[in-house]
Amino acid sequence: MHGRVKVRTTEEERERKKKEQALKMKAYRAAMTKIQKKRAGGELDDEMLGLTTQILLRNPDVSTLWNIRRECVLEKIRKITEEEEKQQENSVKPEDEPKKDEAEEEPKEVVDSPQKLPVEDQLQSILNHELQLTEQCLMVNPKSYNAWHHRCWSLEQNPLADWQRELQLCNKYLKYDERNFHTWDYRRYVTGKAQVPNKQELDFCTEKIKVNFSNYSSWHHRSLLLPQLYPNEQQDRPMSEEKLREELEMVLTAAFTDPNDSSAWFYQRWLLGQGFHGDKDAFTVVAFRLDPHGKAVIGLDKPFPAFNAKVQLVGKDSSVDISSWLPVNRDKSIWKSTETITIEAQESYELKLPNQQIKLSALPLNRGYFYFKPPNSLSSSCSQDLKAELETQLQSCLDLLDYEPDSKWTLLTSSLLMRAIDPSSHHAKSLEHLQKLQKVDPLRKGYYKDLAARWTLEYELNKWPQSEKFPLQFELDKQSEALTSLPYGQYLIIADELGLPEKLRNLAQTFNELKL
Amino acid sequence: MSDELPEAFDLVVMGTGFTESCIAAAASRIGKTVLHLDKNEYYGGDSWGSFSLDALCSLLEKEVSESSALRNGSYTWHNVAAVDWDTDAPAVWTREAILAKSRRFNLDLCPRVLYAAGELVQLLIRSNICRYAEFRAVDHVCMNNNGEILSVPCSRSDVFNTKILTMVEKRLLMKFLMACNDYGEDKCNEDSLAFRGRSFVEYLQAQRVTEKIASCVMQSIAMCGPNSTFEEGMQRTQRFLSSLGRYGNTPFLFPMYGCGELPQCFCRLCAVFGGIYCLKRSVDAVSMDSQSQELLVSCEGKTLRAKHLVSGPGQVPINPVTPMRPNISRGLFISCSPLGNEEINKGGGGVNLLRLLADGGTREAIVIQLSHYSGACPEGLYIFHITTPAQSEDPIADLAPFTSQIFQNISQIVFSSHFTLYSPQSVEANALPLSIHCTSGPIYEIDYDAAISEAHRIFKELYPNEEFLPRAPDPEEIVIDGEDPSALNEHSLPEDLRAQLHDMELNSTENQ
Repeated sequence: MHGRVKVRTTEEERERKKKEQALKMKAYRAAMTKIQKKRAGGELDDEMLGLTTQILLRNPDVSTLWNIRRECVLEKIRKITEEEEKQQENSVKPEDEPKKDEAEEEPKEVVDSPQKLPVEDQLQSILNHELQLTEQCLMVNPKSYNAWHHRCWSLEQNPLADWQRELQLCNKYLKYDERNFHTWDYRRYVTGKAQVPNKQELDFCTEKIKVNFSNYSSWHHRSLLLPQLYPNEQQDRPMSEEKLREELEMVLTAAFTDPNDSSAWFYQRWLLGQGFHGDKDAFTVVAFRLDPHGKAVIGLDKPFPAFNAKVQLVGKDSSVDISSWLPVNRDKSIWKSTETITIEAQESYELKLPNQQIKLSALPLNRGYFYFKPPNSLSSSCSQDLKAELETQLQSCLDLLDYEPDSKWTLLTSSLLMRAIDPSSHHAKSLEHLQKLQKVDPLRKGYYKDLAARWTLEYELNKWPQSEKFPLQFELDKQSEALTSLPYGQYLIIADELGLPEKLRNLAQTFNELKL
Repeated sequence: MSDELPEAFDLVVMGTGFTESCIAAAASRIGKTVLHLDKNEYYGGDSWGSFSLDALCSLLEKEVSESSALRNGSYTWHNVAAVDWDTDAPAVWTREAILAKSRRFNLDLCPRVLYAAGELVQLLIRSNICRYAEFRAVDHVCMNNNGEILSVPCSRSDVFNTKILTMVEKRLLMKFLMACNDYGEDKCNEDSLAFRGRSFVEYLQAQRVTEKIASCVMQSIAMCGPNSTFEEGMQRTQRFLSSLGRYGNTPFLFPMYGCGELPQCFCRLCAVFGGIYCLKRSVDAVSMDSQSQELLVSCEGKTLRAKHLVSGPGQVPINPVTPMRPNISRGLFISCSPLGNEEINKGGGGVNLLRLLADGGTREAIVIQLSHYSGACPEGLYIFHITTPAQSEDPIADLAPFTSQIFQNISQIVFSSHFTLYSPQSVEANALPLSIHCTSGPIYEIDYDAAISEAHRIFKELYPNEEFLPRAPDPEEIVIDGEDPSALNEHSLPEDLRAQLHDMELNSTENQ
């Protein structure tokens, strides 16, 4: 029967697809050969742009072709500006040398110019074409590094770039896929250029989290905006306490809705963290010891591979510069002086650094001078309001643990909350959670052990100054037998004797070297 | 074009209701010759169509016969107090102002919503009929919480954003829903096993959920009554959950321009595969040719031969006449404000679904709110469809316990109408010749599961070895007669690829 619907069989369909594939391949090879030939000949013309467009529309990740395009675009722009300059010279000439013959030619040029667009429009059209192309390519692959990069490049070339339009584009793309980190990255670039108020960005970000909170990109975006919008004066929290409370509530709601979603918990960890310590390149001296024999050791709060600060030891009427230091341990948080310093007993000393001024105390039995500041003693820094909020959150987490005793994120977060509220009174309970975590999340056993060691040492180091043995003896009690590492070693340089569990003895070798 | 029809068909279908259209499409799709008639001048048969406001009013005024599906019809216009409700819309919606927009309404006799992963959606996708339909994702699934209409959190992001639940309640609800989702033959855990044969309410109570969560689940998610069994409740919850996250924020879809579009989609497929359509044609008599065992269908003075006949209720005079009984009580209201607060009607209100309970949960009604986004009503007005199983021949009385729950404070209703949809009492199978099949008309359900299963059953009785609505090909998969089916037509390549090939050929000839 005529005109009856007949459907291709799968066999026929497959064969057809194969033929199509072969044809596409042939076309691709032909175009690539041609492009390479043209480039070798330096032909950076419109045809070249056309050829690269065809391939890039199918496969936006051929970076060579984008590079060639950029050459073409720059070449085109160069030609246009050159022409313009020439024209200007020509139009100036008749005035300089007014010849009567040429006066006839002048009107011709006037007729010519309306056909040709003004230079500015030509430039715009070239660059807009590039924008359109990247847009089409991003439809093919929204995560094409090359296409995003080319878009930025095209906009950078254009002093009249329309940043509002770019912002709209970001909105549109994030509606299609709210988790595309390329778009979020590009959005930050655009908002910077378009000078979008941070508040507006934050609202946008909140909307996206409402749609789907399982979104690292939007939490990260928040974490960049909030410290700027609501700065914390003491710098010991990421943002103002009031905002922090709101954020903590929001993130805990997300965590309660889906405790297995890690993105919210990660954001919460950031919220509960200690915020900025300012400059990445700055260090703080946390321990210092000056031997009666005139040898000095210094402990820094973090590894500092290039310690060469000018340290000045100031006495009552003398002052010595200690400028030559050698690293003692592998991560370079402990350094010793190479020189011997002459010191006088009964003198009171101060240590002067570019960003710190420290008063030294005398060690008993005339054993020299020292300075010590225990790590992370921040419990006192939070206000009553924030503390109340943290207590509420902790209670919610403990409630949640009633329903899901094995939820790893809840276990971890509740211990973090306890430590944010008061590390010492919750010390035992938070270590208990870490014990449990090693069981329910064995893949990260080492991480939890390491965390346990850090928390234990922080606890012990904070207790140490109250001990009778301070500062010459440091002892870890039997409960610390489970420790597998000894973090915060730089704090121990002031001691003569370390009482460590068997397992840790060999770890303390560096300290033996310090026996001065 | 001549009005003459061919004289013999594999199948004559009477009535363009949902079930009949489904069967007609399925038969045509497998190559049967189909004639599809309807005595009305519109698609949808007696119960499944959508109407303009004028047309609905005349339908409600129409005299009722023995075979009418729509009965007990009545409508009233209300005077709306001149409240400056919204500055954009006319200050007062008068009867005249609304009737002037009559054709902007698509008022369903039998409105439904579709589960996004339900039978109908699956069928539409499987058969490729979805290309003829458009949908609006339902915006909110609501519940009546002590007189206040609240949006029930459906998705994970709803649970995260909702203000009606505390943090711990959020966890409980999510945990409960996950447990329901995981419930199944192979991974059932022991505590749910214990509830087999008991009621769903008992199970719910045993999960330590709060009262608010229990009513969310009972009213809107599981859509259960106090007597629903554990298995039934689990199955319904799973049906709800499996439809989540597919299209919108809720598990439901509503057909754009009204449910009357759906039968037409099937008719269209039927026509694409050669089915012939005539509306406003009624069948006067059907008899059996004892020799050929074919049916003789006399239709407006002409006799057609058919191997099989499928008829919707009231379309064909069949003896003995099956008595009709009240089946569904319907209320249809037009209002100038949406139901519930601003929170569930953002941007002027969308399509919302609300299930109401009465008589201690033993009776239920479904309310569908439609705004202009549904394409079924003009901007600034809202349609409320209320549907409940008929208890009596009085739709107003049947619906009173439900309307009183939602309309007590609304003085914004401008038009109210009520009617009952009747269906034939079940036909005794042996009363009819084997080659005649009758469909039963709509029953009370949310989605179209029962209607599809009836269409499927009748199709299988007609053509036991054939597939029910296999996938229809896309245009590019269709080969015209005489063409080499595996050939790749150069014109089917994208333009730029063709250009590249062309260039290449030129180059190669140059090189030679």
